[in-house]
Amino acid sequence: MNIVFLILVHWLIVLTLAPLFTGVITKVKAFFAGKKGPSVFQAYFDLQKLFQKSSVYSSTTTWIFRAAPIVNLAAVLVLSLLVPVGVLKAPVQFAGDIFLAAYILGLARFFMIAAGLDTGSSFEGMGASREAFFSCLTELALFMNFITLSLVARSISLSTMIGADFPLSWKLMGPILLLVAASFFIVILAENARIPVDDPDTHLELTMIHEVMILDHSGVDLAYMFYAAIIKLFVFAGILVPIIFPIQTGNITVDMLVFLGAMLVVSIMIGVVESVMARLRLNRVQNLLLIAFALAFFGFVVKMWKG
Amino acid sequence: MLTILILMPFLCGLGVLLPLSKVFRLKLFLAVSLAHSLITVSFWRQMPIQEYHGFLVLDPLGLILLSIISFLFLSVSIFMVGYFQHEPRRNRVFMACLFFLLSTMTIVTVSYHFGLLWVAIEATTLFSAPLISFHRNQQSLQATWRYLLVCSVGIALALLGTFFLAIAAHDVHSLLLPVLLKGAASLSVNWMKLSIIFFIVGYGCKMGLAPTHSWKPEAYGQATGMVVVLMAGALTQCSFLALLRVAQICNKTGLTGFYSSILIVSGVLSLIVPAMFILGERNIKRAFAYSSVEHMGLLVLGLGLGAVGLFGALFHMINNALAKVIMFLTAGSVAQKYGSTSADQVRGVIHLYPLTGVFLIAALLAGTGMFPFGTFHSELLILNAMIISKQYLLVAISVVCLAIMFIGIGKIVLDIIHGQPKEPVLPKNENLFMNAAIAAAVVLLITIGLWMPSPLEKLLHDAVALVEGAT
Amino acid sequence: MTSWVDASCIIIVFLSLIILSNYRVVAMIRVFAIQSLVLGLLPFFMHASCISSRDVLISLITLILKVALVPSILFWAIRHVSMRAEIKPIIGFGSSIVFGALIIAGAFWISLSLKLPGKPVSDLILPCSLSTVLLGFMIMVTRTRAVTQVLGYLIMENGIFLFAVSLFDVMPVLIEMGILLDIFVAVFIMAIVVNHINEEFEKSAESIIPKIGETF
Repeated sequence: MNIVFLILVHWLIVLTLAPLFTGVITKVKAFFAGKKGPSVFQAYFDLQKLFQKSSVYSSTTTWIFRAAPIVNLAAVLVLSLLVPVGVLKAPVQFAGDIFLAAYILGLARFFMIAAGLDTGSSFEGMGASREAFFSCLTELALFMNFITLSLVARSISLSTMIGADFPLSWKLMGPILLLVAASFFIVILAENARIPVDDPDTHLELTMIHEVMILDHSGVDLAYMFYAAIIKLFVFAGILVPIIFPIQTGNITVDMLVFLGAMLVVSIMIGVVESVMARLRLNRVQNLLLIAFALAFFGFVVKMWKG
Repeated sequence: MLTILILMPFLCGLGVLLPLSKVFRLKLFLAVSLAHSLITVSFWRQMPIQEYHGFLVLDPLGLILLSIISFLFLSVSIFMVGYFQHEPRRNRVFMACLFFLLSTMTIVTVSYHFGLLWVAIEATTLFSAPLISFHRNQQSLQATWRYLLVCSVGIALALLGTFFLAIAAHDVHSLLLPVLLKGAASLSVNWMKLSIIFFIVGYGCKMGLAPTHSWKPEAYGQATGMVVVLMAGALTQCSFLALLRVAQICNKTGLTGFYSSILIVSGVLSLIVPAMFILGERNIKRAFAYSSVEHMGLLVLGLGLGAVGLFGALFHMINNALAKVIMFLTAGSVAQKYGSTSADQVRGVIHLYPLTGVFLIAALLAGTGMFPFGTFHSELLILNAMIISKQYLLVAISVVCLAIMFIGIGKIVLDIIHGQPKEPVLPKNENLFMNAAIAAAVVLLITIGLWMPSPLEKLLHDAVALVEGAT
Repeated sequence: MTSWVDASCIIIVFLSLIILSNYRVVAMIRVFAIQSLVLGLLPFFMHASCISSRDVLISLITLILKVALVPSILFWAIRHVSMRAEIKPIIGFGSSIVFGALIIAGAFWISLSLKLPGKPVSDLILPCSLSTVLLGFMIMVTRTRAVTQVLGYLIMENGIFLFAVSLFDVMPVLIEMGILLDIFVAVFIMAIVVNHINEEFEKSAESIIPKIGETF
């Protein structure tokens, strides 16, 4: 089939499904708080509202500030091309695409940090410095996970590691998957600014990391940033799901349903973790990230041991 | 018979936890120690039969240690009668732990199963810990804690060693000593080597060999003299018995060279390290602790050298124990009279308490191996073994270290004895019981130093043959 | 049941790592209880096809002692202590985690040259037990509070027990019982000493290791 058609279909599905899972997380948090909470489709309405508004730009900002949302969304969309969604194969796959994935994320993050610094506000600068530090440690854990998975799959392409003809199985390599899953879950929480690393609902700028960097964006820019965060969460969860639920029945409908169900479970897990834990003190967050690295490293050692 | 020997102190220990009078506990302890000694003496005439399918067996090696333990507990029980006359603290937990210690040490001497040996040695560690912190002040608690932690780690390593031995004996399928000796040819060499290393590190930590000796100065410095006698004279030698049992197996499997090199290195280290620290020391109990480390080094050197050295080491076990009785009971007596054992605070002992002063000199001579005390003879035997095996460098190092030890301890003892007497804490009269206990040990040590009775000689030769594997 | 045994070994090491990086004493004791729970269930996983009364006995005693009694003793020992957090360990929390990961790698590397005779159920038992022992030792050495040092010792013992689980047929049951009992009494006595320490040292955060230069 035509590659452009595949890419467009992939994007359509990602763009449509992603906001749903963010809504699931919010619903779980509301349930724990004893509230009814906003509807599961609230993210769609928020995006619709934001797309209709106009942006306001501060006079201290330069082109970086205007470029950051575009680069962010574009990078995340390219990332989504590398990750399979259920039975839908990744349109773009080649050996070494995990490096492309990690550095695309790095590009997006770089522009977000630069935009934060560009505003000249001290709050954004503070968020930028925190983000820069924590992402160093997160990337360490992320790469360690990728290394272990690539050893298991004997390939350095993301799609081969978690794609349709994956070699992962709990029976054969249960302990390694356990460790990689635990480590990757912590990476998800860190990358997507969830508790215990960052509280997405706080209104106190001093306590924010991700939210404070996008504080000055408005209108369509904010919509792009918001959409990028949602899709990033969807993509990361999409990587975690085949690790936790490596189920292949061969039937397309069943597999797709299993995938969506698993994504739901992962979202609920994130929601539960967000509800029962408090955000860690900032000097403890590095311990959490180092634990993620240590777990992934342990998985790597076990894989080397098992041959 | 063996069961009675073990159960009697244990049950009395449980009984002593009841609310009883302090004096009654002391008398009970004296009675039990006396009974224990009498039974042990009867074993010299005739060895008891083995019990529990060969788990508890008394052989010549065990009998040496058992006699040492008996005598030590007896002298401590006599000393205690005098000591507690002026000691206001309650002694309930203290006495109970002493009883349990006697019982578990007896188990160590007769256990023929390596797992049981480990359990007993761990138990002795646990029951000796509360004895150190009898006075419950900050320093003694810190000393107890360090002792507990360091020795627990050592014992844990020894447990790993026991497990490695079990793996090495996979085909033999048992950890009983005679079974292991019979099937020695089928033991896996690599796992045996690993097990030997862990045993030496683990039980050596318990013995107080360098470099894991750091708990000794603090623990011996803080605990009362009577407790230290039991620890330095009996507890450390129980761990040495464990090493002797391991040596029995090694000699049968042909790993003699491997373990003796490790032991010689530890022994030399244990001679050098205390010599480095003794010269700045002012507290006599800590100085005696360093001396204890050095004596352990000598024991281990003797074991490593084999044959003549082994005979010397086994004889040194006895002499060392007696010397420790003299050294630490005297130090305990000084501590009670003056409230301190530091040479900065205690002076002129010979003017006020002449007998204690004489005992201090005896302690100095006995502890550093001077004629006519028995320690002179056994140290000479070990040095002789070094010369026979042409380890001249070893001889030189040992002699220098022993000399430094003498200078260090001598300085402190002479400072304490002579000089202007400071006012002591207690009324000026010597205590009969305390002195009797120390005097008995002095007399015994000098006697053994001058003349070795033939039953003892036979026992030592039997024990050497047992370890060497000739029988 | 190899994969279950594998997973249990991995979880035990994982939990030791969590304790290594943790700074709240109460949480550490609870994680230790979970670790002992997994350890207690291990004999069942190993002999799933032929569970003997010996397995049941050892599992039961381990569960009662290590999961129920030992944590409650430790909680009793710190009942009066107001400061529940840990002061900084000697090498810092972050460095401890990285060191812990390196220790695990080291333990696996050492196990490459050690071969267990016979056919063990899982080949992960030896390296995991070695890692746990080393991690426990590290906790003991780098921490300054007495209770955490006891926990380090207990984790060491857990690692040794994990190793012993594969040696069941060589050790008689009575000796296993003796070992477990010894460890229990050890913790009991340690807890009593810790209690005395807490009473004696007014500031509960004071380090049990004397400051450099302080002699007595």
